[in-house]
Amino acid sequence: MSGRHTGEQHSHTVEGTDPQLYVGVHEPGSDAGLRPVLLLHGFSSSSKLNWEDTGWLTALLEAGRRVITVDLPGHGRSGAPEDMDSYTPSRIRADLLQIAFDAGVRPLRDGDPSSGLDLIGYSLGSRLAWEFGATQHELVHRLVLGGPNVSDPLADFDLVAAQRHLADGTPIADASTAGLLKMAQALPSNNIFSLLSLVEAVKSEPFDPAEAVPHMPMLLVAGEKDDRAASMPELAALGAKAGAMVEQLVLPGRNHTNAITSRAFKQGAISFLGV
Amino acid sequence: MAEISFPLPDLGEGLIEATVLEWLVAPGDQVERNQPLVEVETTKSAVELPSPQAGKVVRIHGGPGDKINVGEPLIVFEVPDNTAGIVGTVPKEEAPKRRVRLSAVLDED
Amino acid sequence: MSNSILEGALIVESPAATTVMSMQQALNRALDEVLAENPKTLIFGEDCGRLGGVFRITDGLQAKHGEQRVFDTPLAESGILGMSVGLAMAGFHPIPEVQFDGFAYPAINQIVCQIARMNYRSRGTLPMPITLRVPSFGGIRAPEHHGESLEALFAHVPGLKVVSPSNPHEAYHLLKYAATRPDPVIFMEPKSRYWQKGEVDLARHDAAGGSPTGAKVMREGRHLTLVAWGAMVARCLQVAELAAEDGIDIEVLDLRWLKPIDAAALAASVRKTRRAVVVHEAPLTSGLGAEVAQLITQSCFDTLRAPVERVTGFDVPYPSGDLEDEYIPNIDRILFGIQRVLEYKRG
Repeated sequence: MSGRHTGEQHSHTVEGTDPQLYVGVHEPGSDAGLRPVLLLHGFSSSSKLNWEDTGWLTALLEAGRRVITVDLPGHGRSGAPEDMDSYTPSRIRADLLQIAFDAGVRPLRDGDPSSGLDLIGYSLGSRLAWEFGATQHELVHRLVLGGPNVSDPLADFDLVAAQRHLADGTPIADASTAGLLKMAQALPSNNIFSLLSLVEAVKSEPFDPAEAVPHMPMLLVAGEKDDRAASMPELAALGAKAGAMVEQLVLPGRNHTNAITSRAFKQGAISFLGV
Repeated sequence: MAEISFPLPDLGEGLIEATVLEWLVAPGDQVERNQPLVEVETTKSAVELPSPQAGKVVRIHGGPGDKINVGEPLIVFEVPDNTAGIVGTVPKEEAPKRRVRLSAVLDED
Repeated sequence: MSNSILEGALIVESPAATTVMSMQQALNRALDEVLAENPKTLIFGEDCGRLGGVFRITDGLQAKHGEQRVFDTPLAESGILGMSVGLAMAGFHPIPEVQFDGFAYPAINQIVCQIARMNYRSRGTLPMPITLRVPSFGGIRAPEHHGESLEALFAHVPGLKVVSPSNPHEAYHLLKYAATRPDPVIFMEPKSRYWQKGEVDLARHDAAGGSPTGAKVMREGRHLTLVAWGAMVARCLQVAELAAEDGIDIEVLDLRWLKPIDAAALAASVRKTRRAVVVHEAPLTSGLGAEVAQLITQSCFDTLRAPVERVTGFDVPYPSGDLEDEYIPNIDRILFGIQRVLEYKRG
């Protein structure tokens, strides 16, 4: 893999507090002269699991793209703040904006392919990217949203049942909650209570894609066997209605877990963003 | 030529097997070190495995959907004899090149 | 394989009953035979067992001779050499490997303070029949610590013998010889020559009358002696071929043993040619070239037509990667050294 990894603890305060987010800026061996790509990972994942181990970072660097990775609060190498506020999607979006500026991202300018920012999100990261694109249209050039959803599965998460299960093993009735908790527990490195704080914070700001719709070009990608793929046309319709050019890509045979490594996904994203 | 077998590596977290999602190389391909070889999925995540070395692919084990245990053969490379595992580069044999010419009047006393 | 090596070797080798093999194969065969001939022999080091060594020198030996005799060690050179001391005390003949020359530094205490002195310290009751194999010198564009030239360091230590083969034939015979010695031998394998093939006469090392502990004339000449060892011998043979185009007839002396140095062979060669250039990869200052130059001056002062020249690496840490090309003496730098000697005028 070419490129330099300059991981650093994000040190700017945002809204008066240090978000403790772990940011990586990866320089390509040979720069294509295009704007940086910011990668947003999913719930219970990390930049390493979602983007490095899956080959995304290598593929983007080889395409000459400068890449910014960030671990969400409570994930990967980022801090796990005690306060709930640090986990709200609105607060995370403010942190991402500061990170983008710290990494040298400049507002979009006509005729300057190095200006602005491209975003690739997966799952929860796609929700954040959708909202970030909708609120930062002067900055965001294009969006790639992997495993996206019109609603947020975390919003229906049964926190009480999860807490009880963690305390004394009481079985969780809701299948979605049980599945998400199992996924979070699968990685010993996860700070489970910090992830539950994130869930709680997400519940306080549920995803409503119609509330603010990005109108830059977007590529929606999901595995054929991913339940979320069913709702992809709804998102596409919202985007198109707002005037965005929307493309959709369905990955045959893939589900929400294994769509991420797909070569077709990577190539689709790289060519979609390569303008 | 020699054959080098690369087993499914330990993917961490106590995982003992992985399922092949898609091969990114085929027998006969010449691959470089770190070139993506295959996508595999474990019970916890999907990963892309980079090639541990350069070489020509002779065989691949398992098609999409097949499970492979950690330590079992994943791919076999053909490499020039006795180059496996080297740190650095096998030097090329090149015809000697010179720019300096010798000049001397040698007394033979 | 450059023809020059073969031509050089043919001066002293009988062309009969030779086998063509790489230096890797020659070393592997020598170790295989030593294991078979001496049940006290043990081979160990990092990746020496299951993998067969990063340079494949011990390939297949564990499968053939068992995990008790050929085995992997932790990544701890002081442990590898410390264990060798104990095994030698207990009557074994260890052939440890330090995976790369740069990894020898952590074991300097065991090599210098224990292995080199134990026989002396114990008044001969605890000999150290240890052959330490060290893949040595540069030429493979490896990262730092993977290419060094440590011969002067080892040669400076009383109690150690130091040897470096220049081709597969020498590798096979010198390793077999070193492994049978009662004293510790530092065996410096020129890693850039591992893959080069050459003819090996398994039955006979040197021509009649030759000594396995001496230097060896690889090419005869009348006008100047190039003294070298390890990987530089092949380069000097190339230089000799090029010099012949200019009418200069060069003798190439493969020193082979760097401790003790064959002073008689140096004297015999330079008395004939009256000019000498010594070539090594190690830095100039306090390098083995100074020792060689002094030995030549001592024996040939009256006949020398010019001071002995040294063409060496520079006084900098051994560079990694492509910078090697600037550091290791190349053909032109050696030719320049020869020219300086040829045009020397007594003032």
